[in-house]
Amino acid sequence: MISIFGTPEFILTVAATLLLLWEAALNPSPRLLGRVTLAILIGLFVYVFESDPTANKALWSGLYVWDAEAKFFKLFFIVTSILVVWSIRLLESKIEVGKSEFYIITLFAASGMMLLSSVQDLILLFVALELVTVSFYVLVAYHRSQTASLEAGVKYLVMGAVSSAFLIMGSAYLFGACGSTHFDSIGLALRSLEMRPEILLGLALVLVGLFFKVSVVPFHVWAPDVYQGAPLPVTAFLAVGSKAAGIVLLLRLLTGPFAGEEVASYWIPALATLGMASMILGNFAAIPQRNLKRMLAYSGIGHAGFLLAGIVSNFIQGQAAVLIYLCTYLISAMTVFIAMSALGKSGESDHVSNYAGLSKKAPWIAVPMALGMVSLAGIPPCIGFMGKFTIFIAIWQSEHYALFAAGVISAVAGLYYYLGVVRTMYWTNPADKDPVIVSFQTKIVLGLLSASILLIGFWSKPLFSIVNSIYGF
Amino acid sequence: MNPLLILLLVPLAAIAVILWLPQICPKRTTVTAFIVNFAISLGLFFQFEGGSGFQWVLKYPWFNLPNVAQVNFHLGVDGISLMMVFLTTLVSLASVWVTSAVVKRAREFFIYILLISLGALGAFLSRDLFFIYIFHEFALIPTFLMIGIWGGQNRQFASIQMTLYLALGSLILLAGIVGLVLTQPLDSRSFDLEAIQQIHVIDEGIQRIIYPLLLIGFGILISLFPFHSWAPTGYASAPAATAMMHAGVLKKFGLYALLRLLLPALDSGADYWQTTLLVLIVGNVIYLGYVTMAQKEFPLMLGYSSVMHMGYLFLALASQSLIALTGFVLLMVAHGISAALLFALSGELQSKTGETRIASFGGVYTQAPFLGIMLLVGSMASIGLPGLANFSGEVLIFFGAFKSHPWVTIVCVWGVVISAVYQLRAVRLICFGSVSEVTAKLVDLSSYSARFPYLLLVAASLWIGIYPQSVIHLVQPCLEVILNGGGR
Repeated sequence: MISIFGTPEFILTVAATLLLLWEAALNPSPRLLGRVTLAILIGLFVYVFESDPTANKALWSGLYVWDAEAKFFKLFFIVTSILVVWSIRLLESKIEVGKSEFYIITLFAASGMMLLSSVQDLILLFVALELVTVSFYVLVAYHRSQTASLEAGVKYLVMGAVSSAFLIMGSAYLFGACGSTHFDSIGLALRSLEMRPEILLGLALVLVGLFFKVSVVPFHVWAPDVYQGAPLPVTAFLAVGSKAAGIVLLLRLLTGPFAGEEVASYWIPALATLGMASMILGNFAAIPQRNLKRMLAYSGIGHAGFLLAGIVSNFIQGQAAVLIYLCTYLISAMTVFIAMSALGKSGESDHVSNYAGLSKKAPWIAVPMALGMVSLAGIPPCIGFMGKFTIFIAIWQSEHYALFAAGVISAVAGLYYYLGVVRTMYWTNPADKDPVIVSFQTKIVLGLLSASILLIGFWSKPLFSIVNSIYGF
Repeated sequence: MNPLLILLLVPLAAIAVILWLPQICPKRTTVTAFIVNFAISLGLFFQFEGGSGFQWVLKYPWFNLPNVAQVNFHLGVDGISLMMVFLTTLVSLASVWVTSAVVKRAREFFIYILLISLGALGAFLSRDLFFIYIFHEFALIPTFLMIGIWGGQNRQFASIQMTLYLALGSLILLAGIVGLVLTQPLDSRSFDLEAIQQIHVIDEGIQRIIYPLLLIGFGILISLFPFHSWAPTGYASAPAATAMMHAGVLKKFGLYALLRLLLPALDSGADYWQTTLLVLIVGNVIYLGYVTMAQKEFPLMLGYSSVMHMGYLFLALASQSLIALTGFVLLMVAHGISAALLFALSGELQSKTGETRIASFGGVYTQAPFLGIMLLVGSMASIGLPGLANFSGEVLIFFGAFKSHPWVTIVCVWGVVISAVYQLRAVRLICFGSVSEVTAKLVDLSSYSARFPYLLLVAASLWIGIYPQSVIHLVQPCLEVILNGGGR
């Protein structure tokens, strides 16, 4: 039985606040605080994993839902946060001021994301989203002596504010048209009402607000600059966590209150077009990038396109495919980001040329990095293929053949730049001979991630049975 | 334990040994693994009971794709896949044997070769389309790395071009496979090969969409004209072992899968696209034949020639006659063997002399008689000299295809003349004449150990060439099932 005080978000927020007080009063070493953060997140993972979502479906008078999908996404965000915290630990020496607060703000963002996976009301949606976004305002501009980080911070601030404005404006229209901000009531109202322009306008504005978060074309322009300027762990958190948070909201809205056939006939073509544009633009624009963070930003735009394609198929299989795709993206992208952090610990890691000859200098970084890249490209037997495969099946079933073609073209384009990184690591000679030291614990983390890329990619049954059980297949 | 599973586990075990026991020579480990696999495949060949069914079946449920189908890890061989497994183990063994043990970054090299062989074996042993696809893709990244790291001239471009092309082909055919599976009613949807051979009648309009997807997707993998441009440059830049594995085995995967998927299910799609396919076949044989004639470098010539010969195989597919399809299977195996032999020789010439231009050689027969004879035998096999395996395949295809497509068959027979022209010219320039400066650097293979892989390939070619019946009686029952699957 879960009460308000037993929700993981509440526990995490309280824990983060306590950490903040502890930091202020006793000034513990950042390393210790990092360890405690990690312990809290792992404990929370076990707690959520063991909890039973069917026991208590709705809390806070129906604002908050605790179902299988919410549990899945909470676990997803906890795993992401654990890996992000690991990346912060690796790069701790690069943070000039406020090392401890970096961990704590990350926890606040994580708790906002977890809250997002449960929201059932537009107001709570806005509050949770702001919790995430405000935390990111701070995190993105954390390297305050570096102009790039500050520039990224300002850009993210402006874009975040604009997208929040869109979201709140859209919510207002929806409230005006439907008389409620609760998802169920909106759904009920939509079934009885005839389609009115203000409903569509409201939905469009809300979607635009979310598209900013997911970085879908044409709302993607901020992503490359912000990803490039932000500290690496924050880039990772934006790329995986923030994107998934946007996707869970899209899923909640579009497969919930707006799933009706009439309204779907409006948003499906829009999402299909934007998905197609994102896949193509993201993957082709990534090709000339030499800065790896920037390349991953564009590649993330491409992945957002694939995720939209899964939502568009408007099938329950499409939703399952989105969840599988997100899992594969989490593992592959975080492998790449942790490998980058491991390299960044002892030098530069942003530019592709930093990876020259890495297969000789540091095979412990090069192999996971290569696997992550190949997996992002979606080549079997890596896990990324399972994501692409399920999405492609969902697209075909919903008969969006143009989207399928765009997916094929962009997957091939993606292979070009992903393999470009592999090529740099394996073919070119290193600029210097300094060995890169990778700590034992990081080797374990990278080894586990690489193993899951290969093993879950080949033996995908656990992944499928988890996702299938959510949708009752 | 299931022998097919052992075939897959042996390369994995070898990879583990190479990774964790670096003091053991990686070449020795790999050769041992491939000898074991070759022995197993010979054992399977002699134990096979005949008939059209799959034998040594192993089935394990893998995961469930909701509302699509259950995916199973499903192994099994029938006559056709048995021949492909035999080809894979044979060419794998030969390809590592001809590789120098002291190649740079040796451990990586042999791990990649093992992965390629594992992928090809898995693709031919699997009965589940999902696994056929996955196993085939195993080879993509190792091939990319092998060409990039150990390749010859132009390797950067060749490797990325080949990989992108192959990935595009794979994705297009993935669309075709997904489409094919989804045409079935929900309760009988399956990724199983046998189920697809007894497929329900598919709507004609859908067939017209799926057929070109499969044809183009696999066509890219097989290097069907005009999707062939990756193949010659890729093979010319690849290290000998990679070229042997790819031209010999992996390219045959596409043909094997086309045989399994196109014929049983898509008869009206085939009728609709027949003219297009025939035009492509003529382009493949005649246009690429002349392109091959113009080549000045030996590896490039071999690459184009291996592309050109794919035309005959597509002719067999287009004809849909039992005789031609029997020839199809024979020629797949035969061409795999002869291509592997020729690429091995070209690699040997290139590594000893550092030269690839045909005109710069001369007098190889005088300088290195063994290599000269092997080159002669390989070229004769490739032309289609009776007694060697390619002849039996080609002749059956021509006989079988003449009835349904007489004019195209006649045009394709002209291709045999073209291939005789370029092969014989290459043999004359390389083997005979006075010993050139380049050839003088050549040392003949004198030890039995060095000669063994070449002799093994020649022996296999002679066996199929002289006694094709031993293969025909294996494959014909399976082909009958495939041809009758669509209710024809």
